[in-house]
Amino acid sequence: MRRQILCLSTKITHNSCTKALPLTRFLSSQEAIDRRYHLFTLEKKRQLDKVGRVEKIEVQYKGVPNDCTLVMNKGISTPYDCARHLSEWHTDTSALALLDGSVYWDMHRPLTENCTLELQHFRVPEPQQVNRAFWRTCSFMLGACATVAFKDTVPVKLHSFPGPDIRSGSFIYDVQLPTLKDWKPSQQELITLSAEYVKLVRQNEPLERLEVSEELALEMFVENEHKTRQIPSIARNHGKVTLYKVGKHVDISKGPMISNTKQIGRVAVVSVHKLNGNSEVNQLYRFQGVALPTGVIINHFAFSILTERAKKLNTVKSPIPKPLEREESESIAMKA
Amino acid sequence: MNQAEVSKLVSKLRINVPPTHRKLRSPKGPEGRIDKLRKTVTGLVKFERIELNYNRADEARQYTERLISEAIRHGDCHKPTMDTANFWLLEKELIHKLFKVLVPRYETSNSSYTRLINAPKPQYGRNIDKVVLELKGNPFPDLINNNTNNKLLIQNVLLDAAKQDYRQSKINEIAKNIGKTENAPLNESSKKPEAPEKPVES
Amino acid sequence: MALAIRRSTSEVYGAAKWFIRRDCRVLSTLPEKAVEVPVETKQERPAVSRIRASARNPNLALRHVYPEFLPDPNPKWRNSLREKLERIDMLNRRKQIDIPEFYVGSILAVTVADPHAQGKTNRFVGICIERKGAGLRAEFTLRNVVDHQGVEVRYDLYDPTVHSIQVLRLEKRLDEKLLYLRDALPEYSTFPFDMDPEILPDGTPVPVNPVQVKLKPRPWLERWERQELQGVSNIEEHLKEKDRVRRELRKEPWEKYDLMKQYRRTIPIEDQNDIWAEVNHQLKQLQLTRKKVSRKRTFGVPKTQLG
Repeated sequence: MRRQILCLSTKITHNSCTKALPLTRFLSSQEAIDRRYHLFTLEKKRQLDKVGRVEKIEVQYKGVPNDCTLVMNKGISTPYDCARHLSEWHTDTSALALLDGSVYWDMHRPLTENCTLELQHFRVPEPQQVNRAFWRTCSFMLGACATVAFKDTVPVKLHSFPGPDIRSGSFIYDVQLPTLKDWKPSQQELITLSAEYVKLVRQNEPLERLEVSEELALEMFVENEHKTRQIPSIARNHGKVTLYKVGKHVDISKGPMISNTKQIGRVAVVSVHKLNGNSEVNQLYRFQGVALPTGVIINHFAFSILTERAKKLNTVKSPIPKPLEREESESIAMKA
Repeated sequence: MNQAEVSKLVSKLRINVPPTHRKLRSPKGPEGRIDKLRKTVTGLVKFERIELNYNRADEARQYTERLISEAIRHGDCHKPTMDTANFWLLEKELIHKLFKVLVPRYETSNSSYTRLINAPKPQYGRNIDKVVLELKGNPFPDLINNNTNNKLLIQNVLLDAAKQDYRQSKINEIAKNIGKTENAPLNESSKKPEAPEKPVES
Repeated sequence: MALAIRRSTSEVYGAAKWFIRRDCRVLSTLPEKAVEVPVETKQERPAVSRIRASARNPNLALRHVYPEFLPDPNPKWRNSLREKLERIDMLNRRKQIDIPEFYVGSILAVTVADPHAQGKTNRFVGICIERKGAGLRAEFTLRNVVDHQGVEVRYDLYDPTVHSIQVLRLEKRLDEKLLYLRDALPEYSTFPFDMDPEILPDGTPVPVNPVQVKLKPRPWLERWERQELQGVSNIEEHLKEKDRVRRELRKEPWEKYDLMKQYRRTIPIEDQNDIWAEVNHQLKQLQLTRKKVSRKRTFGVPKTQLG
């Protein structure tokens, strides 16, 4: 396995973006997804193997039912594992972990040092960060939904999604559909999209996080020119790209995200708007949806208000710091 | 048709009182029922939070409410009330608790003095409704923490934003109308399809 | 009319005996109903508690005089609209005829319309042995012995055929109901039809007549021995050992502590306050007009024998 990876990495070093382009022709979207998933699992395995000798860390748990100390494995154990030591309720409801009272940590991200741990669910007194993670996850899942929802004849290229802004009323994913000109989804199509979304959510997949090098990220997203263009600017700061995986879908996101897709409850994909006036990317569509966490009971009337509002074009601009696309995102903002 | 009894005055309970009493099965009959309830009332006043079957809890709740309201109304210098407290509280130090702790606690309250909360049923065994009966203001942590009033909860954030959005759209509409009151009918007809009416009630 | 008026010397003697007894009413141990009100009106503590504040409402004293204004406590029969309408009807009826304050144990004379009677009216005098019912269905029962025959007549308080209700003697007895007079010696429920009304001076509390009746030997209509009656003197004479044992077995000493039983029999203070606030003004008006009328009428009436 390691040899494979080595082989791959040598290939990556030799490859450049321009060289990767011919490869894209031969990758159908499903193959690309499988390949990305395969690379992700390989890299994850490699990183786990790299941990080597198991060292122990002490995690001070704070919260219900009582404070306690857990001895966990460094670089292997995650907050989710800590929650499994406590109870099923903890594993099911915890969406985020709070380390040392300040760092928000994914539930499936290995712990690296001694720390205090608090588990956060959606009903904590100050749920802003949990809400943001939820909204981000919903956007992420919307990308996954968009990739699987269309027929093979319709190529889908994920572009990006802006940071979570709950007050805007909807979560967003910008997707390029090159073959569809002036597509306006019918009500039935929207319902189908929502159904696809719900199907994905019902698979109850955990959201796994992985930090990879820029080269590997470029290799993984070789067929998607938007992502390959974004990756260098994302990796500019510390040369790493944060990836998230749910099921077979892998995407770039800063994180943190919630623990499991089953924490997404009521959800609706509400509207798809075409973002016109975009010189660089044609047929860029903005998918919008609204969702609530599992266990939030809301009157159908109130939810209809939320969906009505989410139907309006959300004018949040893409925050991805890329010099190449700055004009583009601005143009989106100006248009909208 | 009966006439209401006028020799005694009672203050109204802040809980729902069923039209008839509930028989609690006991070989001693009505006396056994009262004895059971005495034990429960004593336990409730002593521990302030108890878990028991629904039937008995609901009955005991009414008696506790009555006892506390009598104590509040008459105070500890009223002999019949003292007698009643003596009858209902099997442990005599609890009489002091009733008059010196519970009466000041509930004197100014405007709601019921006790709380009845459904408890989980045992998975195996008899299918009986279990409840938790507690005095309000007890020192234990809250059993119900569905503080859905928290403004930071995601549903409240969304609804609040929707409300603001709706208000903003209304204000804009009014502002436009003020400018063009003369040719209002023409404008309104062109504006309406843009901003669909959206009532916000939350 | 079959009810002949008959007066014998013994009856007069019996009545006189009661007046003499009534002197002793100071010694009566029955807790006076009116006692509760001054206790509540005592301003010991500031009114922090709503409960205590609402219990201080002076209107609550009206409940003894007008018990039929309170609805039936059984929630099955409650209907706020019907109760309100009934109260309006009752007040309207009270504007038509004077329905005086009276209690179980008072002696009343009631005149009703009777198409078959000689003067189209029928007057009956008797002791009120029971008051029942709420609202327009309020009723009372008068008992008298006429021609050695016990007669009881039940009247509806708000019956439109009632021409007048006159209180001949305003007093209370030791018990809530005087149904045991049916098994008592006839002299205790014999009252002359031409009794003169006795007028109490204004402001005096209603006297309690501490007379204790003598029961006839068994059989009785009810098991009086189990009812803890105050107004019966010779109940032990007629009991066998068996009855005493059963009485002990049947005792329910916990009943007076059954707080919910009390609660279900009464109308709570808060509800009563609403009702009395609604009718208080009109009742006071009616009282005032009645006082004016009676002042005119009492002028010249000789002072009757009173304790």
